[in-house]
Amino acid sequence: MKVVLIRIVFFFVLFLIWYLVVAVGKLPSYILPSPFEVFNSFYYGFCKGGYLIAIFSSLIRVLIGYFLALGVGVLTGIMLARYYLLDITFGKTILALQSIPSVAWVPLALLWFGITDNAVIFIIILEAVLPVALSTKNAMKNIPQNFIRAAQTLGSKGLHLYKNVIIKAMIPELVTGLRLSWAFAWRALIAGELFISGAGIGQTLELGRSLADMAQVIAMITTIGVIGFLTENIFFGTIERKVRFIWGLEGQK
Amino acid sequence: MLEPKIQFENVTKSFTHLSKDETIVDSLSFDIFADEFVCVLGPSGSGKSTILGLIAGFIKPNSGKILFNSKIINRPDSSRTLVFQDYALFPWLNILDNVTFGLTTKSKSKNEIKEIALEYLNLVGLSAYKNHSISQLSGGMKQRVAIARALAVDPEVLLLDEPFGALDQQTRENMQIELLRLWSKTKKTVLFVTHSVDEALKLADRILVIGGKPGKLLFDTTVSVSRPRDFNNSQIVNVRNKILDKLAHPDFFMGSDI
Repeated sequence: MKVVLIRIVFFFVLFLIWYLVVAVGKLPSYILPSPFEVFNSFYYGFCKGGYLIAIFSSLIRVLIGYFLALGVGVLTGIMLARYYLLDITFGKTILALQSIPSVAWVPLALLWFGITDNAVIFIIILEAVLPVALSTKNAMKNIPQNFIRAAQTLGSKGLHLYKNVIIKAMIPELVTGLRLSWAFAWRALIAGELFISGAGIGQTLELGRSLADMAQVIAMITTIGVIGFLTENIFFGTIERKVRFIWGLEGQK
Repeated sequence: MLEPKIQFENVTKSFTHLSKDETIVDSLSFDIFADEFVCVLGPSGSGKSTILGLIAGFIKPNSGKILFNSKIINRPDSSRTLVFQDYALFPWLNILDNVTFGLTTKSKSKNEIKEIALEYLNLVGLSAYKNHSISQLSGGMKQRVAIARALAVDPEVLLLDEPFGALDQQTRENMQIELLRLWSKTKKTVLFVTHSVDEALKLADRILVIGGKPGKLLFDTTVSVSRPRDFNNSQIVNVRNKILDKLAHPDFFMGSDI
């Protein structure tokens, strides 16, 4: 309760400073609009539906890319864990690929797919596939031997062993991979959308720039932050903590 | 003549470590009979756990034969269940589902499985905790669940690998009494690995002392004193001294004598 109060005060002070800077500095709204202008932008954006459509389109795009990436990533991870030769070649390449920011793939994607949804989905897959592949590989390699032995000594083998022990033992590491992957997908989405046409958060952001509508730009940046925070930290973060607690990997917070 | 439950015939096992072959146990031969409570006693690194791993079927010997009911052991099976020092309970299952785990591999109805599991949970005194998660239990309770889980599949042989090694002294003593009670109720052949001479003396009908590097059978003795055992009893004192002597000079004694 006390924490909540402190946070409310913090944001109030933040908005107050923002307001004072704009008012005292007499800044033009294309440089820095007042908080009220941004609230207005949100209000009309949501009432007229423009922002809602943008958010909805973006979420569809990111979900398609994310789930495709999960499929490819899990398969890649299993292959990396099983085939040593693949691991020492492609496995190491993945580490290099991971250091490339998603925006670096944009020119390539645009030339291949044009300024379409496919270009963005391609970038999302490229980014999101890597953490899933790596965590699947690690999860498979790090299954505690005693879990498997305990299952075997109780008569479990084949499909029963896979379904009830191997996959279950992999879950904590997989969940971490899923969360990281989502974070990558979200960033890739916005980077890609800045360059394509159609509805979306990134497009709305870019539109705000070309119209010198800074209120819209800030509204979209805030939207990206809020959705990212809710999904990454609240949704995936909670699942991850719960799983790690149940699996006995850390104390409950 | 009674057929032995488990037979070791000249068993040698080595592992490759840093591209060097290291022999863990060397030319082991012994028989274990049905319903015996056998303690395998020896210092760390003498290959005690390897012996259990061989009987459980996790690993295979490099040479020699291990027979179970006169048949060579090929793979792990619920006729020989192992209890681990770190419990190896499945944290994603609650207590009851841990105990039912082995039963779900058998063709039994759901109700039957639940009934059997509850019976064994009851036997270890934890039926009130059936819906708890693993992380809510103390070490001693975890090991009791693990023992119930291992017994629920009705094995012929129960293998315990330093099961009370991670427990405090008081819990450990309670668990020893508990295990003897379970053993007298269920009448299984028990192989219990420990490095504690007193634990072996408290529990075993028979003690196999393993020692040296690679591990060899140094001493094979029966303890016929009735339980609970008085450590001042002359046979116990006598066996104890002999074991300590053998463990102190592992290289001078080989084979079995009493």
